[in-house]
Amino acid sequence: MGERVAFDATLYREDALQAAVDAYSEVAKIEVSQGEGSFDAEFTDVGDYDPKMIVHAFANHVLHETIARRRQAALDTDS
Amino acid sequence: MSAEEGAAQSRLGFQLGPDHISFDLDESAYPIDAVYGACYLFIDRCYVYLTRPAEGRVGVRLTAQEAASPEALDALAGEFANELLAQTLRNKLSQSTSRIREYYTAAALRAATSAPSVDDLLAELESEELLEDPLEIMVPWEEKHGDGQSSTDPDSKDG
Repeated sequence: MGERVAFDATLYREDALQAAVDAYSEVAKIEVSQGEGSFDAEFTDVGDYDPKMIVHAFANHVLHETIARRRQAALDTDS
Repeated sequence: MSAEEGAAQSRLGFQLGPDHISFDLDESAYPIDAVYGACYLFIDRCYVYLTRPAEGRVGVRLTAQEAASPEALDALAGEFANELLAQTLRNKLSQSTSRIREYYTAAALRAATSAPSVDDLLAELESEELLEDPLEIMVPWEEKHGDGQSSTDPDSKDG
């Protein structure tokens, strides 16, 4: 059983999570499943990396993608 | 990243863990855009993780990228809270002035489309009679008023 982290669906975008999974595909194997009001990511095969550090960095990446995509969506709506 | 482990209260009142600090925000006081704005500025300094502990509340957890003392974590959360206030204010100002900004942008765009070209401006300059001086601004004062004893001089007395 690897590390698990839940991303609340009202705070994180699903497409942002998928983009982060793609970005981390060479670092770890990440399985995403739909939880209750959240997207759950489970990490396996993290290699020599510290699993906790990978999870934290991954969460930052998802947050960054979420914010960037929200801003872009707001710009697209305005124009 | 689920339950708080051995959380204690920091000097500023945040929940302090071994390598992280966390706190809940009321979304009616801090809009989610402000929370995202503050998070965006902190994701290169620490690990930021958001949760939804209850409806209308956002949990923020800041984890140090390297070993950090409780004082350093407290300072980090304090800075985050300050940035959150700044982002909230910026957000409110942005909303309250959006109509004015839209108006000025539209006016500027309208003016830009009807602005004369450089050629038009040069032609206008050439057509002007620059040597006309109806107010005699270019006439020296002495020439205009003689030797300085003009008839309108209140100090001058005839005879």
